[in-house]
Amino acid sequence: MRTAAELNYREKGIISEIDYSHPSSKRIMEHGFTPGQTIELICKSTFNDPIAISIRGTLIAIRKSEAGCIKLK
Amino acid sequence: MKIDTALQVPLITLVGPPNSGKTTLFNLLSGKNYKTVNYPGSTVEYYTSRILPKYNIQAELLDSPGIVSLLPESIDEKVAVDSLYSHPTLGAPDLVITTIDSCQLSRHLLLPIQLVSSGFNVIIVLTMTDILAKRDLKVSENRLSKSLNCDVVAINGRTKQGVDNLIKLINSNLERIKTAEKKNILPHSLIENKTNLLDTFKEIEEIVNDVYEPIKVDKINLKTANNELKVLQDGSASNGFTPDEITIKIDRVLLHRFWGFLVFLLVMGLTFTSIFWIAQPLMNFVDELFTNLNSLVLENFEPGWLTFLISDGIISGTGSVLVFVPQILILFLILGLLEDSGYLARGAMLIDKPLSKIGLNGRSFVPMLSGFACAIPAMIAARTIPNRKERLFTIFIIPLMSCSARLPVYALLIAYLIPKDNAWLGGFLLGGIYFLSTISSIVVAWIINKFSKRIFSDEGSSSFILELPSYKIPKINAVINHTYNSSKQYILRAGPMILGFSLVLWFLTFFPNINPQVEKEGLTTEQIQNLERAERLEHSFASDLGKIIQPFMTPIGMDWRIGVSLISAFAAREVFVSSLALTFKVTSEDDEEQSTLLNSLTTAKIGATGEKLFTVATSIGLIVFFIFALQCLSTVAVSRKETGGWKIPILQVFIFTGLAYFMTFLTVNGLRFFGVQ
Ligand SMILES: Nc1nc2c(ncn2[C@@H]2O[C@H](COP(=O)(O)OP(=O)(O)OP(=O)(O)O)[C@@H](O)[C@H]2O)c(=O)[nH]1
Ligand SMILES: [Mg+2]
Repeated sequence: MRTAAELNYREKGIISEIDYSHPSSKRIMEHGFTPGQTIELICKSTFNDPIAISIRGTLIAIRKSEAGCIKLK
Repeated sequence: MKIDTALQVPLITLVGPPNSGKTTLFNLLSGKNYKTVNYPGSTVEYYTSRILPKYNIQAELLDSPGIVSLLPESIDEKVAVDSLYSHPTLGAPDLVITTIDSCQLSRHLLLPIQLVSSGFNVIIVLTMTDILAKRDLKVSENRLSKSLNCDVVAINGRTKQGVDNLIKLINSNLERIKTAEKKNILPHSLIENKTNLLDTFKEIEEIVNDVYEPIKVDKINLKTANNELKVLQDGSASNGFTPDEITIKIDRVLLHRFWGFLVFLLVMGLTFTSIFWIAQPLMNFVDELFTNLNSLVLENFEPGWLTFLISDGIISGTGSVLVFVPQILILFLILGLLEDSGYLARGAMLIDKPLSKIGLNGRSFVPMLSGFACAIPAMIAARTIPNRKERLFTIFIIPLMSCSARLPVYALLIAYLIPKDNAWLGGFLLGGIYFLSTISSIVVAWIINKFSKRIFSDEGSSSFILELPSYKIPKINAVINHTYNSSKQYILRAGPMILGFSLVLWFLTFFPNINPQVEKEGLTTEQIQNLERAERLEHSFASDLGKIIQPFMTPIGMDWRIGVSLISAFAAREVFVSSLALTFKVTSEDDEEQSTLLNSLTTAKIGATGEKLFTVATSIGLIVFFIFALQCLSTVAVSRKETGGWKIPILQVFIFTGLAYFMTFLTVNGLRFFGVQ
């Protein structure tokens, strides 16, 4: 299954589930990453990490290691 | 203390998601001037104030750091949540006002829902309605109020529109609470788990689909608004907006994969070089003012200890520091503009990867940057870093950022090294110093990171999740206001200290040998005066003190007079320049009576050998010393408080001051080895 960390530049995806075992999963959900939401990778930092994802109309910068727990459909 | 008054009036607590406009509203209602910044995490401590009398509400208002939910993860969030449940002196709030960004309802409603379900009396304030209006949309206060079961009011924090309605609501709520019996507040950790977090978001999605409505009946606008609404109501797509289009366009450049980092370096470089460029003309003006004042005193009073006290002690002392107020003003101004634009969060994102390599976090960026203004708020700002080790490490290296108190020293020595008419070179040199101090702090951080397991116990996982706020045109009057206040504080804090130390130093250099005996035959009055000054200093208390530190100063090419100044710099770095001014004016062999500090430095000689004291090598050496040395007692005190122990502050003092001495030794002797005197 793909995760948000594997999105390409400007690619959209729909969240299927959040990996609860990840220590940041609760914070990620509190920021609005919940199943069913459409997300889009807007920018990548120069070193390819972190990435900026649009969720619910807001840009959130997040490390790839943490975006990895956002599973896509 | 505050408790007595606070208990008599109701307590209203402001909470809300980061960057939602809490502090803006707090300032509006209390007339205070706390810093508002377009960065999530600008407030890191709570503070309270009475509401302005003109609003006719007898209540204490509390502003708190931003929180995403009622379960805190970092220290600033804990401060906010604690102020809701168990505030040590103020108790639990009678009324909670929560600010919600009306463009981000679908994320921000989480907190008010948690607050209402925990049993708080809540008023929801919708902020940023002006930005929402640009999309021809508004939020129906009525419908939102019905679905959440609490009062809702929309305001524009920048124009005060809607504040009257808010005041009415506060009044009616306070009335109601007075008569109602106290509700039981449940700690949120008891109700919350991951599945009902999902349920809450489902609930939010339903509410959000229902509450947005178009503003104008204007045909063209209706069309765009309906399009936005369609996106909104099309539940399957995204329950919210697309992010601000202009912001995305700007980010295409500023967060470009290749250019992004170059732009970042350019922005930082320009910030620090321009301090010198813009400030130079202003500095010259202040400098002349004080030189003239000084000569006025010398011309109009009999030469005697009182005249010397006023001219050498007080006027030169204060003047030599006030000269640098323009630079500090401009530093605060430029940082303020940068902060309010929204770029800081991007900077944090861009630098997260490199910083994480040396054990820091992207969130260390903003504390480190504000460390260039002052280390004290910077250390407190580190509270936003959730991981304990990364937070302590950030606090650890913050003293290596060249704070504004060091600017006077750099500026003086740059002005000394470089001819006056060459301001652009000075700008580059200052930029270079900042660059060097940044590089060296990275190297030091990298080395210390190797030993970090021994200093900070490693625990928990590292995390970087940061909202990138929409770009905004900086609110100029807020920035200017803040610049004015910080500069005023700088003068008020440094001023008395400088004056006090100038007096102490003046005493040490003037006593006990008040009337020195010198050979007067065949000399002009001026020469006699100079001889007397030299003789007086030779047998002064300061010189006795100096003889003790001389052995430490010789290896780095300096003499006891600089040593005395360096020691006085431990009270506050600003004092260094004024004490240099004092000791060197006293020993100056310049024939001109009202020589400037620069002139006295040029002619200063090392007593024993008669060599020139301020050579290129020693001047650069001094700059290097100030880049590393931790010479600020208040910083040590704050470090102790924020790290909760003496271990880190003591290590900081020893490591950084030792390093400063060692690096200065290397620089001075290295330069000499290569033939630079
Ligand atoms: N356009 C607009 N900007 C606003 C409004 N309210 C606040 N701002 C701006 O939003 C930014 C954040 O405001 P703050 O008051 O610092 O937000 P805060 O909630 O205290 O933020 P934290 O302390 O970081 O949690 C600042 O740049 C404000 O000038 C508003 O109603 N409209
Ligand atoms: Mg704030």
